[in-house]
Parts: sequence; C-alpha cells; structure tokens
Amino acid sequence: MAIQQFQAKVSEMTKIGTTYIQFHFELSEPKNIRFQPGQYLLLNVPGTAQKKSYSITSSKDLDHAIEIVVNTAPQGEGTKYLQSLKPGDGVSFFAPAGVFSVAPQSSQVGQQEKALVFVATGSGIAPVKSMIIQQLRFENDARPIVLHWGLRYEEDLFWLDKFQDLAQAYPNFQLHLVLSKATPAWKLCRGRVTDCLQVHPLVHSAGYYICGHTTMVEDVKNLLMQKGVAQEHIHHEKFF
Amino acid sequence: MIPNTNSSKKDNEQVMNIQQPAIVGKYRVQVIRDKCIGAASCVAIAPKVFGLDNEQKAFVISEDELDDMKLLAAQSCPTAAIIVTNIETGEQVWPV
Repeated sequence: MAIQQFQAKVSEMTKIGTTYIQFHFELSEPKNIRFQPGQYLLLNVPGTAQKKSYSITSSKDLDHAIEIVVNTAPQGEGTKYLQSLKPGDGVSFFAPAGVFSVAPQSSQVGQQEKALVFVATGSGIAPVKSMIIQQLRFENDARPIVLHWGLRYEEDLFWLDKFQDLAQAYPNFQLHLVLSKATPAWKLCRGRVTDCLQVHPLVHSAGYYICGHTTMVEDVKNLLMQKGVAQEHIHHEKFF
Repeated sequence: MIPNTNSSKKDNEQVMNIQQPAIVGKYRVQVIRDKCIGAASCVAIAPKVFGLDNEQKAFVISEDELDDMKLLAAQSCPTAAIIVTNIETGEQVWPV
C-alpha cells in the first residue's frame, strides 16, 4: 500500500509498564489500512511540519485502526503532544512507511533464514510484537522464532502475558528477557541484549531482526558480524 | 562510470542517456551530511531519491519522485538534515 495521509480518532490510551502508553487510533478517513508488520507511521504534530515516527504495533488483521506504543520518558515534541491527547481527539498521520519487515519465504534471503531471531530494547518491541504475531498466527511459520527483549527494570516489563501465551501456544517460539538494572532476585539474563546473545548459543542460519536505540542496533550488528552472520540477514530499525 | 572512449558516438549517447538522472517536479533536495545521523527515514519514504553510503549517511540518488514525497521524506528526518528548495521561486521550502 502506498503511503498516504490518514485521519483518525484516539479511542484508547492505556498505560503499560512504568513509562509507556499504548494508543489505539480508530481510522476515520480512509477507513482501512494495509501494512506490513514492522512498518511505521509519520505523525503530524501541531505547531511543526516535522513528522514524528512511531512503529505500528497492531496486527495486520486489524485494518480499521492503528496501535502505537510511546515511551514517555524522553519527553520530545511528539511525546508531549501524544500525552496531551484524550479519547475522541483527532490525529493525522502518513502511513505505512518503512522497509523493516520479515523477509518473505518466497525470497532468496527468506529461504536462507531457517530461524528468526528478534532483538529489541524498550519500545523497540512495538513493531517486533506485530512481526512475531504475524509469523506465528497468520503465516503459520514453523521455523524457530526467538525474541531477546531488553529493558532496564523488572517493573518496566509489559505484554509479558501476551508473549508467554504465544510461547505456550507455539512451541517454536522462545522468549529471553534481559534486564540491565535487575535486582539480585532476577533469575534470567542480566546486562545488555548483547550479553544475552553471548550467553545463548547462536542460532544457525537465522535472520536477525533488531529494533531499538541506534547504539544497541549497531552493537548487535557488530557482534553478529563478528560471529559470521552475513549482512543480508541482519535487518534493523533504529529508534532516535 | 566513465563512458568508454572506444565506443561509437551513438553508444556514448545511450550511456549518457542512461546516466542522466530523471528530474521530476519543482523541488530539489540536498543532504547536509554533517547533520545526517543515518536514521534512514528518507530512504524508507523515498528510496528512489535517497540512499545510504558506507558511512550510513544519506545521499541523493536522483530527483525522480513527486514533490510531495520529497518533502515528506525531508520532514521525516529527525535532525532536519535535508533541505528542500523550490527551483521555480528559489525559496527554501524545508526546513523553515
């Protein structure tokens, strides 16, 4: 679907974790959207023509609405505007944008990827959730699918129930959580996602899909390339 | 690519025609390299116009795109590293 402008209304704002808000925008005009999981929207923010990018976290089958997740901690122009909204308010944005998506299994790159490894930090989980659900529920993807998700504190975690449900329903899905500021009681990986990737054995012939802050993306890319992963199998989306 | 000096004039014209970038519309774009942080939003929105070099900096491939898309690509840049100029008026359209 070509990028186009949408008018929508805020229908839900849900606080998730300690600093994140999930927004549900019901589309007004056009009323439907088609996108690839992993793509994002460009939000119009009043007072500036500069667009703010937010990854789409909703599933592809939800075509009459769009959901995004915003980290309220940085308090940029876009975040302040979004926090000022209330249900019923109008918003406008351009969508879908971006090329971050799972390589189709019909493509040469997709055929070579015998497993999918997702690496996300913070709100980088937003597009990754949409991508994983697409592969498991709608593509019936039987390849091993692994998610390494890094956050700072245990209380920052959200959607844990959703991912645990997926792991129960789909034995080919594995979740690895890693906390950089874990308490002594935390029993899983601690440190950065790069540490988590070092602890767990490298998944052979996998496609890697990395999303989060630019420094993390570069660190993971460098680590994977040092381990011999070819560049065409390292896909990423950088958040700024 | 340097045209092959051994080829005929006709061949050279064909090579030059292939190399000539298509120009569409009245907006021209320019990347301020020092401001570019490699976010690649411009590439995602207008891949015919922008690419990333080896240093993950954006550069202009061609102007072969609608003016609205060039402007949207520029306005999506988090550091406003892309200047859009209207060549008919000489006015800088973005950033303003």
